[in-house]
Amino acid sequence: MQRGAIRSTLQVGLALVVLCALSGGALAQTTGPVVEVKTAIGADGVRPGSNIKVAALASIAPGFHINDHQPTLDYLIPTEWKVEPSGKVSVEKIVYPKGQMKKFAFSDTQLSVYEGALTVGALLKVDRKARPGTYALKGQFKYQACNDHACLPPRSVPVNLVVKVVARGAAVKRTNADVFNNLQLD
Amino acid sequence: MKQAKVLIGAVLAIVVVAGLYLVNRYWIAPATMVQTTKAAGKRPLAPDFSLIDINGRKLELADYKGKVVLLDFWATWCGPCRIEIPGFIQLQDRYRDQGLVVLGIYIDDNAESVNAFYKDFKMNYAVAAGDSQLTELYGGILGLPTTFLIGRDGRIYSKHSGATDVSVFEEEIKELLGAPPSAEAAEFKQAGGVQAGEQIQLGDPAEINSEVPGVNLSKLNPAQVAQFKKVLEAQPCNCGCKLNLLKCRISDRSCGVSRRLAREQLEKFMKPTT
Repeated sequence: MQRGAIRSTLQVGLALVVLCALSGGALAQTTGPVVEVKTAIGADGVRPGSNIKVAALASIAPGFHINDHQPTLDYLIPTEWKVEPSGKVSVEKIVYPKGQMKKFAFSDTQLSVYEGALTVGALLKVDRKARPGTYALKGQFKYQACNDHACLPPRSVPVNLVVKVVARGAAVKRTNADVFNNLQLD
Repeated sequence: MKQAKVLIGAVLAIVVVAGLYLVNRYWIAPATMVQTTKAAGKRPLAPDFSLIDINGRKLELADYKGKVVLLDFWATWCGPCRIEIPGFIQLQDRYRDQGLVVLGIYIDDNAESVNAFYKDFKMNYAVAAGDSQLTELYGGILGLPTTFLIGRDGRIYSKHSGATDVSVFEEEIKELLGAPPSAEAAEFKQAGGVQAGEQIQLGDPAEINSEVPGVNLSKLNPAQVAQFKKVLEAQPCNCGCKLNLLKCRISDRSCGVSRRLAREQLEKFMKPTT
């Protein structure tokens, strides 16, 4: 009986020591960027008058979170991907996933946040009169990251897109199915 | 029987955790504090600043010489900052008469949100907007909250990054309040978050307050400064800003490319012509 109790004590004690060690100075240990964003495009081309799916793929450093696009509390800065329409390519909609509810030391209530990997999808519409060619769209991915003890200032990183418009009868091939199969963009 | 085992396990766990706390508090922490105490006399002077607080009053650090100052860098969008504020309000109430002054510097925030927060939380201390120049002077504020404790002698005794328990601040404040005015608190021991050999790094005012931010122009006379600025104006910055070097330095103080290029230009400028 005593051996079991001692073992469980040591396990609990060790867990607490590890937790204490991890919690202190976590911010100071971060060296690289806390959030990195890449883009993915749903097809190798798009015909005039058609839609094309695109996505911003954010990778959030371990231990950090960024706020939901619709944050739980009004003082929190939402995550937002803004895509500027170009003359011939417009933005139909942008879809954010639901965050995960998590409790943090600094909040009495659970907060909806993004951790790890985040995919934000966008549906772009190409004008019927668009000529074949490449169209560049400028965008900004805005976020504000925190860990359990501290927050980093809000950041805005450029996330730009290039859309290839093909001729009306040209074949187009779907790409990045693994990204877009789970996005509700239609 | 099983319940008894769990109960004994829980009691032993509490004893072990309490033991670990005491070992840290009275054995490990004092050992690291020796380094802090050894650094006495080398504690950096808190960089002075002059701001206007949210109530329109002048806020100058120099006015609080002889007081103990808790200087908190924070923002309303920062959850860990918000939980510290009620503790700071209590500390200000409790130790005001003994010489404590709490000052709040908000970063990357808007005045409207700060004003609303100030009223909601019934803040009882001065709050003003900070800028990149001020945060650079304080060594760069990487995360919020970051809180400095400044002694009666105007020197920085501790820096806490991230939310910190109010008891830690209280312990340190009591120590600093005990020091005579204008004298160093030689026996000061930081209460929490101390790492062996940790030093408080501040920015170089000659670089931060320079007409070309990040470049020390103190060795140039006014005519040379004007001439050097013209040199920078004639150079493009290749960081992608499409500005000349001088404009890039002024518009984006954090741009490492323009800082490096401007410093290289200064070296060339200062080399005697043969």
